[in-house]
Amino acid sequence: MAAAAVVNGNASSGDWEGRYYHVDQILDRPGPRTDPSFLAGDEVKDFLRTKCKILVIGAGGLGCEILANLALSGFKDIHVIDMDTIDISNLNRQFLFRPKDVGKSKAIVAAEFIMNRVPGVKVTPYFGKIQDKDEDYYMQFNLVICGLDSVEARRWINATLVNMVDPENPESLKPLIDGGTEGFKGQARVILPTVTSCYECSLDMLNKPTAFPICTIANTPRLPEHCIEWASVLEWPRVHGDKKMDTDNPEHIQWLYQVALRRAQEFKIEGVTYSLTQGVVKNIIPAIASTNAIIAASCCNEAFKIATSSAAYLNNYFMLIGTDGVYSYTFEHEKRDDCPVCGGESLDITISKEWTVDRLIEMLVERQDIQIKKPSLSTPGKQIYFQAPPQLEEATRPNLEKKVSELVPDGGEITVTATTLPFSLSLRVKYT
Amino acid sequence: MSHTESQDIEQATTSIAPSQPDDKTRRYDRQLRIWAASGQAALESSRILLVSSSATSTSILKNLVLPGIGHFSILDSTITSPADAGNNFFLNAKESIGKPRAQEAVPLLRELNESVQGEAVLKDVNELLSTDQGKDWISGFSIVIAHNLDKGTLEQLSTLLWSNPNGPPLITVRSAGFLAEFHIQYHEHCVSQSHSETAPSLRITRPFPALLEWARSLDLANMDPTTHGHIPFVVILVRLVDEWRKSHNGDLPKTAAEKKEFKNQILALKIKPDEENFDEAEAQAWRVWSEPAIPSDVQSLFSLSPLPSTSDSSAPARHTTFHALLGTLADFTKDPSGPGTLPLSATLPDMKSDTESYVKLQNLYREWAEVEKTKFKELFAKKHPELAQTANPEEVDTFVKNSHHLRVLRGKQWGAFDQNREALADALMMSPKETATHLGLSALTNLLAKDPDASNVTAETLRTEVVSIIGESVDLPEEVDAALGEIARAPTADIPNMAAFLGGLVAQEAIKMITEQYVPLNGYCIVDLVDSWTGVVG
Repeated sequence: MAAAAVVNGNASSGDWEGRYYHVDQILDRPGPRTDPSFLAGDEVKDFLRTKCKILVIGAGGLGCEILANLALSGFKDIHVIDMDTIDISNLNRQFLFRPKDVGKSKAIVAAEFIMNRVPGVKVTPYFGKIQDKDEDYYMQFNLVICGLDSVEARRWINATLVNMVDPENPESLKPLIDGGTEGFKGQARVILPTVTSCYECSLDMLNKPTAFPICTIANTPRLPEHCIEWASVLEWPRVHGDKKMDTDNPEHIQWLYQVALRRAQEFKIEGVTYSLTQGVVKNIIPAIASTNAIIAASCCNEAFKIATSSAAYLNNYFMLIGTDGVYSYTFEHEKRDDCPVCGGESLDITISKEWTVDRLIEMLVERQDIQIKKPSLSTPGKQIYFQAPPQLEEATRPNLEKKVSELVPDGGEITVTATTLPFSLSLRVKYT
Repeated sequence: MSHTESQDIEQATTSIAPSQPDDKTRRYDRQLRIWAASGQAALESSRILLVSSSATSTSILKNLVLPGIGHFSILDSTITSPADAGNNFFLNAKESIGKPRAQEAVPLLRELNESVQGEAVLKDVNELLSTDQGKDWISGFSIVIAHNLDKGTLEQLSTLLWSNPNGPPLITVRSAGFLAEFHIQYHEHCVSQSHSETAPSLRITRPFPALLEWARSLDLANMDPTTHGHIPFVVILVRLVDEWRKSHNGDLPKTAAEKKEFKNQILALKIKPDEENFDEAEAQAWRVWSEPAIPSDVQSLFSLSPLPSTSDSSAPARHTTFHALLGTLADFTKDPSGPGTLPLSATLPDMKSDTESYVKLQNLYREWAEVEKTKFKELFAKKHPELAQTANPEEVDTFVKNSHHLRVLRGKQWGAFDQNREALADALMMSPKETATHLGLSALTNLLAKDPDASNVTAETLRTEVVSIIGESVDLPEEVDAALGEIARAPTADIPNMAAFLGGLVAQEAIKMITEQYVPLNGYCIVDLVDSWTGVVG
């Protein structure tokens, strides 16, 4: 065992001689492409194993893999946040969970599993939402890795980390590594808040969510999906009133399935199944262990390289498509000057003089590079429309019918905010 | 849901009594949406052999056990070292040190999925390769995967499995620090269900009788406006192609001017500006001039040369039916009484239309697809009477259904690339970084054969090996030094992130091979985690 002699045998960390034989081959000497600033040997190992503090957001398909990789790579102080509990459908890939764990917190079970399997690693779980935590909390970490399935949560953490950057304090810049998968496809990226393109910059790269026009659903259904949407969007509220639909409740899915099936039979449409119903109403994304393993490994590899400087980190986007051979593409995604989170410049939009405020809101919801649900609008001088609180909503509601051009001059600015997003979008409006 | 609330719903749906999915379906839900029950059944009947229980090997197995393969065997006589206990998640850390590695790993892998069987075979692979019984045992698996096996053993293993066209595919994996590659050895791999995202032809320029009849019968002038605004674009295009041909000697629009004119004709039929079905017809007009009778990828399969005979037998027996169906498909397209195309696909995309027209169109496509499938089956029975009796009807149906996206891959033996200096030199020019990494890893394999503890592995000794592989006449680009330096840095390192990355990639390819769905790798997949890329050579 050639490298055994150089291993840092720190007894208190639970290490044993030879434990890091493999990783230490990387950490003991640079490669031809390694940056000269790399401090090979004890210094970098000490930082990785005793000082570096890393946050993992999500303990699901990617999160389980990320935690295991980080622990084996030598990260010793890992925190993990997840608000979800374990479901039976997680067990085909979330390999830290067993059937007996169904219903328990993902973050807590995952943390315990890692600590049992990999001695000397401390994993601190938080069973809750990322939004529960403030800047002070996020400031304690050197790195953040995200394995999330929610666009909203990613936008939130991205904007939070960008907002935290203080040019006077280099420690305030927290590298964010983000992974995502769908079936045999996935991507991993490195975001250096304010330096590289951020999550918000690339919002338009997301697949457009399939939305069916309400008139199709109501009047001219053709696909089984149309019948399912009819059941969930129109029939559920009609029959159940204010009672909220819970897509995790099998009885609710069963009800939707039966109602959708009846409608399909009425229109002679084939293909409504329980599985499709569940897929449509929960917007289920197919997921397998192998793709999650690849993307999580890629994220952890970038975290390892950033933490140790043992090799250059990804600049800044890795995309994998595994449906036809193994195809991947590594490229630099460009920063957007008019990105509402990291760009600083306002976004120019040109709209018709005739557009009402309501029409503008519709555009803000739909446009791929904006996608702001429930936006509130104001100009420097006045409120245009506010979604909340109720009194303000009521007071500004009449503006919805008004033309934007009556409220904002040509070339004027509108500030768009939403409660779910910790940033505001600045629009410069021109009229045709 | 309270009891009273649910009553009227139950009354409303009494005729339907569907049951909720069972536990197994729920567990596998997210993957069944990818490879369906047929892919799952293939996985569940598979038997996998892993030669080694390294960190990379157990990572691969983890991603095969979770989705539910039938059985795995780990062949490894290694005793767990302190280093193994540090990089392998499927060992009990320090407690496993000194115990057989494979035996320690098996229970930790099996607990991932109680429906998977697994065993540790604590023998040296060379021992098995030296007896007929051992060789038969190795050849009896669905797929064999080997990680960082020494060169001599790997050569024997690959020769054994290559010599039998009916034997299992072999995936060989080599990794060193941030660099790695893997190769799948198979003679041939046939895929009906490639899950291609390109939509099959709607046969607008070759309409079947019922579709043409509908298109011709449209009374566009006297139709009520609602119906007019809901004619499916397919029917509009078939109608206009029919009219165009009548006035153009049976030809289709060819020149740019004609195509423009054709599009204008579509839009001229609008009676209201907001008739989206006509806009859709215009947007889909390319189908009129750009859709080949037979996709070129499928056409090329009709002239595939027979597989070069490797031993006494020729093509793998498991592909006999596929090839017979492929031959029948070629005949189908040439049959003078047939459409001159592949059998019609029953899959219809969504389009602007009302329910009645859409369902009518869908039924017409389904019915005619059945007619052509029946015709195909008659041809099959005539051409291959015995096979037609014994072939699995589902296999035939799947083949016809996916005939627009068939794929046949022809593979090479592991190591053949390195015997072909011309191919290596070409690859080094076309894909320098991928080929440089491949050459570096081959050089490492050669050096480790002489010197297993890697004490003589340096950038210089690796470079000498590279030259001996590719020949002295080839100039080595700078990518070679970038790869060799990285390999010399960590020649025996099985680092956790690379192990996990390969664990995912290799398992994914194994799943594609086993399920015969999607399209697996052909050649060597190269991985560089310094610059975070993958590529394919050889």
